Amino acid sequence: MLRLDPDALGELVAGRRVAMVSGTNGKTTTTHFLAAAVRAALGPDTDRLVHNADGANLHGGIASALGEHPHADLAILETDERVVADLVRLGRPEVLVLLNFSRDQLDRNHEIKGLGRSWREALATAGDAGPVVVANADEPLIVWAAQTARHVVWVDTATTWTQDAALCPQCGSPLVRDDPGGWRCTGCDLAQPPTTYQVVGDTIVRPDGSVVTPALNVPGGFNVSNAACALAAAELLGVDAETALTGMRTVTSPAGRFGTVTVAGSRARLLLAKNPAGWAEALPLATSSTVVLAIDSAAADGRDVSWLWDVEYEQLAGRSVVATGPRAADLAVRLAYAGVEHRTVPDLAEALRGHPEQVDVVATYTPFQRLRKLGGS
Amino acid sequence: MSTPLTTNDVAGQYGPGDGPRVEIVLVYQSLLGIYGDRGNATVLARRLAWRGFDAVLTVVEPGQPLPDTGQVYLLGGGEDAAQISAVRALQADGGLHRAVDRGAVVFAVCAGYQIVGRTFTVGDPSVPGGEDQVIEGLGLLDVTTTRGPRRAVGEILSRWRGRDGEESLLTGFENHGGWTRLGPDARPLADVEVGIGNCDDGTEGAVAGTVLATYPHGPVLARNPALADHLLSLALGEELAPLPRPEIDTLRAQRLAAVRARS
Repeated sequence: MLRLDPDALGELVAGRRVAMVSGTNGKTTTTHFLAAAVRAALGPDTDRLVHNADGANLHGGIASALGEHPHADLAILETDERVVADLVRLGRPEVLVLLNFSRDQLDRNHEIKGLGRSWREALATAGDAGPVVVANADEPLIVWAAQTARHVVWVDTATTWTQDAALCPQCGSPLVRDDPGGWRCTGCDLAQPPTTYQVVGDTIVRPDGSVVTPALNVPGGFNVSNAACALAAAELLGVDAETALTGMRTVTSPAGRFGTVTVAGSRARLLLAKNPAGWAEALPLATSSTVVLAIDSAAADGRDVSWLWDVEYEQLAGRSVVATGPRAADLAVRLAYAGVEHRTVPDLAEALRGHPEQVDVVATYTPFQRLRKLGGS
Repeated sequence: MSTPLTTNDVAGQYGPGDGPRVEIVLVYQSLLGIYGDRGNATVLARRLAWRGFDAVLTVVEPGQPLPDTGQVYLLGGGEDAAQISAVRALQADGGLHRAVDRGAVVFAVCAGYQIVGRTFTVGDPSVPGGEDQVIEGLGLLDVTTTRGPRRAVGEILSRWRGRDGEESLLTGFENHGGWTRLGPDARPLADVEVGIGNCDDGTEGAVAGTVLATYPHGPVLARNPALADHLLSLALGEELAPLPRPEIDTLRAQRLAAVRARS
């Protein structure tokens, strides 16, 4: 991480209207949705907008995006979970979108609750000068972290991943789900808050009860959830819903996600999955007859690949599967125990060679970026 | 009706359907499952199934009684709050003590290792209210865990005591802030070649009777099939035929080379 004088970031952001997006999964795509929504409203004045579109979301990446657009008065910033508290303090954002919280890179972030606590404290400190938060009401840790904000727009994202939320972040008691009613703590008053935006199937219900169909050009139900959060944020920034959705439909492969490249003569669609929650979303999208899975354990992937055993690879049984990447051997053992026949081809380009039909590739961060590069994307 | 917020998908039957029944109990996956340690359950169940046994994998969550029918009980890694919640639920349940008394195998990893010991310390002095607390463990192993001078994070390689040859090398990934010291009634599982292990004293893990504990994830039984089969032999009271799997040999060779290159 580039160590930067925090005041420098404060100076770069000064005088701009700022909206931030953070969370473990989906922040790059959601930031692209929000930027596209705002761009649609700006019309020809798109120079007014700065967006760290490449996913460089730490202090250095945000500072360099801002530095390259000194005259843009609107900043839509994808923000790493570890930078949220700093940027709330320095950037005085108007809107902060908090998507989800899942364990990721545990070799560095030992306890995800500590990150949530840092958000909570930053929002409490910001008080009335703090952002309006758009928050996923389905995630207990997000709800707990967002509670201290001056105002929260809660979104029912219809999220299904629950494996990282057994205990209440506030009091440590077990959490339960009431059907209907959502989740609640058995020991204190923390519970799923009433929401103003709801995801229902492939539609979004807005605060006035109107139902809109995002009809996105990126796949997956989780992207409807991301779009609902982006829509709420765009409306807070003054963009009307129809314009926002029109903008969001222009997003097709945010920072290469869901994009198609040609590598070693084969067409490949790239899906990024960085942790068990991300894999649970991405694997069902991998519908090609041959599926390539690429695993690494560089710093950006997390050095510990134990999480492979929390991914339900069993669903690939009977398919043609290629295991690749520097940690292909770990994946091969996982697949063997999952009863999934596979070939192991550690070299990425070799693994992509010789597929007559387009293949879906699900990759962790480093091989995902390497495949983009190999494909010239 | 209310259901626990977490779900689990590994529970079920593994095997031909007409083989001898063996029950594996995965204890509190929702609390002690952040490092993929449920994989240890998958590995044991599959290795039994591959040998013609019918493995029943039972997942128990807090509030549900531990079954008294299991042959192997598994505990994994978790965060501080989850660890405290888990140890209280296990103390209230009492099933793990009964299991050990009747000779069942307990295999505990990381936070699970600390839980089966005498006491362990949790807390995060860097946050308000995060002062160290000493928590009473289950006392199934004569070990005590206190806060270490630094967090142990990285690949670990150790040599399993009483074994020889390639299979005596145990490979995994450790990630723990607690440092564990053994009392006279426990002996180390292994001697550290690379990594921190119990408390940077050259030892790793602990054993007493049918209770085995260790720090490495991986999950550790996926990377060390001989240890997996040892647990099964101990539980069944019989030797098991080897199960050659080339992908596991490849993985072991790779991890051993990687950890030694870094040391």
